[in-house]
Amino acid sequence: MMKTKSDSQQQVPSQADLSRRSLVKGLALMFGGLLPASSLALAAQGYQGQADTLNRAGHLLSAKQLTLLKRLVDLIIPATDTPSAGALDVHGFIDNQLKHCFDKNSQNLFIAGLDKLERICRQMNGQAFSEVNTDAQVALLVAAEAGGKPCNVDDKAFFYQLKTLTLLGYYTSEVGATEELSYLAIPGGYRGDVPFAQVGKAWSLN
Amino acid sequence: MTTNIDNIPSSEIYDVIIVGSGITGGWAAKEFCEKGLKTLMVERGRPVEHRKDYIGEGVKTWQQPYRGKVAQNLVETQHHVQQQCYAFNDSTKHFFNNDQDYPYSTSEGTKFSWIRGNQLGGKSLLWHRQSYRWSDLDFEANSKDGFGTEWPIRYKDLEPWYDYVETHVGISGSKEGIPQLPDSQFIEAFEFNSVEKRIKENLEKIYDDRKLIMGRCAHLTKPAEHHVKQGRGPCMARNECQKGCSFGAYFSTQSSTLPAAQKTDNLTVATNSIVHSVIYDEKSKRATGVRVIDCETMATREYYGKIVFLCASTLGTTQIMLNSVSKTFPNGIANSSGVLGHYLTDHCYNAGATADIPGFEDEYYSGRRPTSLYIPRFQNILDKNPKFLRGYAFSGEAYREPWWEFNNKPGFGVDFKNNIKQGGGWKFRVHASGEMLPRYENSVKLHATKKDKWGIPQLHFNCGYSENEKSMMEHAAQSAAEMFKALGFKNIHAYTKDDPMGLVIHEMGTARMGLDPETSVLNGNNQCHDVANLFVTDGACMASSAWQNPSLTYMALTARACDFAVKELKAGRL
Ligand SMILES: Cc1cc2nc3c(=O)[nH]c(=O)nc-3n(C[C@H](O)[C@H](O)[C@H](O)COP(=O)(O)OP(=O)(O)OC[C@H]3O[C@@H](n4cnc5c(N)ncnc54)[C@H](O)[C@@H]3O)c2cc1C
Repeated sequence: MMKTKSDSQQQVPSQADLSRRSLVKGLALMFGGLLPASSLALAAQGYQGQADTLNRAGHLLSAKQLTLLKRLVDLIIPATDTPSAGALDVHGFIDNQLKHCFDKNSQNLFIAGLDKLERICRQMNGQAFSEVNTDAQVALLVAAEAGGKPCNVDDKAFFYQLKTLTLLGYYTSEVGATEELSYLAIPGGYRGDVPFAQVGKAWSLN
Repeated sequence: MTTNIDNIPSSEIYDVIIVGSGITGGWAAKEFCEKGLKTLMVERGRPVEHRKDYIGEGVKTWQQPYRGKVAQNLVETQHHVQQQCYAFNDSTKHFFNNDQDYPYSTSEGTKFSWIRGNQLGGKSLLWHRQSYRWSDLDFEANSKDGFGTEWPIRYKDLEPWYDYVETHVGISGSKEGIPQLPDSQFIEAFEFNSVEKRIKENLEKIYDDRKLIMGRCAHLTKPAEHHVKQGRGPCMARNECQKGCSFGAYFSTQSSTLPAAQKTDNLTVATNSIVHSVIYDEKSKRATGVRVIDCETMATREYYGKIVFLCASTLGTTQIMLNSVSKTFPNGIANSSGVLGHYLTDHCYNAGATADIPGFEDEYYSGRRPTSLYIPRFQNILDKNPKFLRGYAFSGEAYREPWWEFNNKPGFGVDFKNNIKQGGGWKFRVHASGEMLPRYENSVKLHATKKDKWGIPQLHFNCGYSENEKSMMEHAAQSAAEMFKALGFKNIHAYTKDDPMGLVIHEMGTARMGLDPETSVLNGNNQCHDVANLFVTDGACMASSAWQNPSLTYMALTARACDFAVKELKAGRL
């Protein structure tokens, strides 16, 4: 079952938790509305998932490359009771991130890695990555991650980069941070002995 | 208070001019204002208002343009040095300086990463808040092994001043009775997590020379009434401190010393005012004020004061002093000794270790503790290590692997996703915090030709770690690995690395204290031997670096020097 946002903000409130929460709320009010006005301006620029990324080229990647990337991020973080990475437009996020936060060389390496994976797939299976079955796709990614045949160290480096960016895109998204994992914007204090079961899911911020 | 410099009449003679508004300048302002002196604080950077200007605070990752990362073109054009600092990110970048405007140079084959926060509040907004007293092990180190000059003060001289500043600041920590790390006036310590508790027990059983204690830090776990009166509230354990904290839960100029100074009506603040140099009067042999260049308009002006306190950070102060030339002081004001700019130290954090802790999958924690654990120095105390002088502490913690460490784990897919959700395994990590020997060769001077955009000569660095620091780091890596093994950890990975000086951001020593005016700039009261009404209370004054984070000691020294200066002023000696 998918939790709503407000549910996940309030996991397992024990009595102590509840009183702490109202304390936090009171303090937040007292200390003057914790979100400075100007931060809203920042918020507006946040990368927002786009529904239709696949129908057009990205900043750096072609529509075709984006389609491949969507499949790859879905294989890394598939749907469970929360959406897959592709459903949250993590491929679009990666395209955006590559464009703005990476130098030319790293951008080119990433694009080359993507294209090479497609090439290897065709050589092995005679078909595009999107056309082979999931087992074949997974097998190729396992090889890429290990850098073993038919892949090599370059593919290994590419996969590492891809995985890093996928995790970043997924777990810093609102769904990833607050629904898939546990999140408290203002914890209200540190407690050192909380049973895992009481939190239920890993924290998205440690 | 006014921050509008046009309103400040230049002809007024202040009782005291303070240069800089960071940790030390904030303290000087509070002390002088509370003692009734008309005080002018001169700050080169922009005004930063508590709460209002914390523009990164409370912004969620998914609201950030690049999820916390800073755009590449901004990094390349404006922050190529600052981005090396661990605390630099999209929510904090506006508190780090623009490297384009703040150039400096280094000698060929050497490196120095100069991390700066040039704004009202200085680096007090950015610091990691770790706060430890020094002891006589530190104040006697120079005279015992001959590196550096003898400290003119001892622990007993500072002890009451530690008490004094700690009470105001609020230092959370636990009483331990460790001779080399005297206890502070503490408020409640942060909690250990349950795994750390077991590690503490085991470690202290195995080693009788070391203790694992909670990191002492300038956070209000339980604010006292006088903290609440400052407008400060309790720590919410967000651990996003460097974005600014509207709760005022960690100590900064904005949360603590500035409001105290402002309350008195004795404070005037001039922001965007770059001190070019100190004005020296040959006749009276006194500093009479400062020459200022307006950061925005380039206009020049002068401010006059009876006393000048330099609190512009170690290297900022050194730059000003070197640039203050006169007939008497052709090589920089109060530099008859010639040591100004020399004996630059930082700390050395170039070793550490990580390991897995098997088990405890049912245990977790809640909240993000803004401090870690601490193993105070345990080498060269009773024993004598043949490989290196002085010593190091460890900082560290036990934590469950968060999602961002899973890129290093093999696998992907549903199980992988569920593993992340189930919380990674427990890990332990430490890094060493080592003392650096004061050496004459490690130095800064003014570049002969290069200037910044305001026409001020750039600093030129010539420094690096020596064999002593390198041997110490090798020892630290080894001893961490041994400790981890003894504690039953798995997958132990110990490392040393080669980070350049500067990145620990504990630069010190370039206008050192000493007993002898021929070999030091300052006396034991932070007063220039050569110019009686000129004081330096930032890290430039430190005759050695010790192994503890230094800012608490700067605070105590500053408050003590203010007290001394006021007494001297009243006695008619300044
Ligand atoms: C990320 C980070 C983590 C840190 N962690 C710790 C820690 O855990 N514990 C610890 O003890 N220390 C820590 N430090 C170091 C600590 O911040 C400094 O020791 C402390 O801020 C020094 O205080 P200061 O007043 O000397 O200098 P600053 O706080 O740097 O203030 C100096 C001020 O002087 C101004 N100035 C400089 N030149 C001029 C000029 N020519 N004219 C006018 N104004 C000028 C600057 O703009 C600045 O505002 C950390 C620093 C950083 C950046």
